[in-house]
Amino acid sequence: MVKIITNYGPLLITAMGQTLLLALLGLFFACILGVVFGLMRVVKNKLCRAVAAVFVNVIRGVPMIVLAYFVFFGIPYMWNSILKMPNRITLTALTAGTICLALNCGAYMAEIIRAGIESVDKGQMEAARSLGLPWWKSMQRVVMPQAIKTMIPSIINQFIITLKDTSILSVIGFPELVNTAKNVVATTFMSTQTYAIVGVMYLIVILALQQVAKILERRLKYESK
Amino acid sequence: MNQNEVKIHVGHLKKNFGKLEVLRDINLDIYAGEVVVIIGPSGSGKSTFLRCINGLEEVNGGELLVDGVDVVNPKTDMNKVREHVGMVFQHFNLFKNMNVMRNLTLAPVDLKKATKKEAEDRAMQMLKRVGLEDKSHYYPGQLSGGQKQRVAIARALCMVPDIMLFDEPTSALDPEMVGEVLEVMKSLAVGGMTMVVVTHEMGFAREVADRVIFMDEGYILEQGTPEEIFTNPQHPRTKDFLNKVL
Repeated sequence: MVKIITNYGPLLITAMGQTLLLALLGLFFACILGVVFGLMRVVKNKLCRAVAAVFVNVIRGVPMIVLAYFVFFGIPYMWNSILKMPNRITLTALTAGTICLALNCGAYMAEIIRAGIESVDKGQMEAARSLGLPWWKSMQRVVMPQAIKTMIPSIINQFIITLKDTSILSVIGFPELVNTAKNVVATTFMSTQTYAIVGVMYLIVILALQQVAKILERRLKYESK
Repeated sequence: MNQNEVKIHVGHLKKNFGKLEVLRDINLDIYAGEVVVIIGPSGSGKSTFLRCINGLEEVNGGELLVDGVDVVNPKTDMNKVREHVGMVFQHFNLFKNMNVMRNLTLAPVDLKKATKKEAEDRAMQMLKRVGLEDKSHYYPGQLSGGQKQRVAIARALCMVPDIMLFDEPTSALDPEMVGEVLEVMKSLAVGGMTMVVVTHEMGFAREVADRVIFMDEGYILEQGTPEEIFTNPQHPRTKDFLNKVL
């Protein structure tokens, strides 16, 4: 155990950095996708709602490992060899990984945001509209601030899931924590110790995240008084 | 104010929710300064009619002009219409995430009808008018039902509306709080506001209304002065309804 920590500790910490980098990038774009598709699911326009529903259902219905292979191998192959586009593309593992996480987490975020908006009493929107405020202003000023409060616990939960999902992207060769751990095990044959350390590392980061969530929730509750 | 000016013109108005016909053929002109009280059994379409006037419900047919503006036409900017048609809801619908002052100033400031200072001055005036000038920093959750509804009325008044719609404003209140809300509405009526009120408060209808309208199953069955409707109803459905509620 000590040998692993002293010899491979810095390597594993760097790998944790990569995991966090990937998670943050993925979450950043997932939030954008989530807000866009979440709002598309509550607008009046039927086409918007249908497009968003298809996105959410397709992504939720496909395992992320399949999505990862498809984005990393499938899309460049399609572009270069099937469509024979003049400019060849290759995706780095980081780019492909970010796309996967953003799509996957974005779909779940869209659902969280839709549910949050729908949990706000319809009368709030009607009252805002009856004063002459446009839909978007009403959403922004009245509905969203109330919806966010109910969404926070689910969003944090989704963040945690996404952070753990980065480990799936070891399959496309991204040097995140699990991938690095596999390499460590391959050279040291100390799987018990290595994976125990890796597990604890995830646990620490996630417990820290939960603390942040708690503080955030408490503060929001206080503000509403 | 010209007493003969038509504020709201309704002709052959129809509204259905799917197969359910809620409004079948509504014809009505409401004049400036008039207080019209709509009564009728539940499900008769009273609230739906009110919500059509400011476009919260889409109309399925007929004519509806508010201040001469055709609200049935999908090209009409309903936000502009709503700016001068205030609405008070059964469940108050105060913005829960804002204090009373923000509730009152949000729309005027956001829609650039007033500067923050002007809007706050006006909000204080309106709060005085409804007797709640000491509550400007309270959140809706800290107010009683009657206070909430008076704030809701003040909020609508902050947009300087020339028509006020009331959708069962006292139905969700404890009995001892009904009076304070009706008092505020009475003072508005005396002040010359054009008002359309859906209510079950027959006392209010009798005392304040210029005209009482009885609706049932999507039609206006009878209308007249409170005197005519309450002491000498013509239609058997009206008689039946009044017998049950009075």
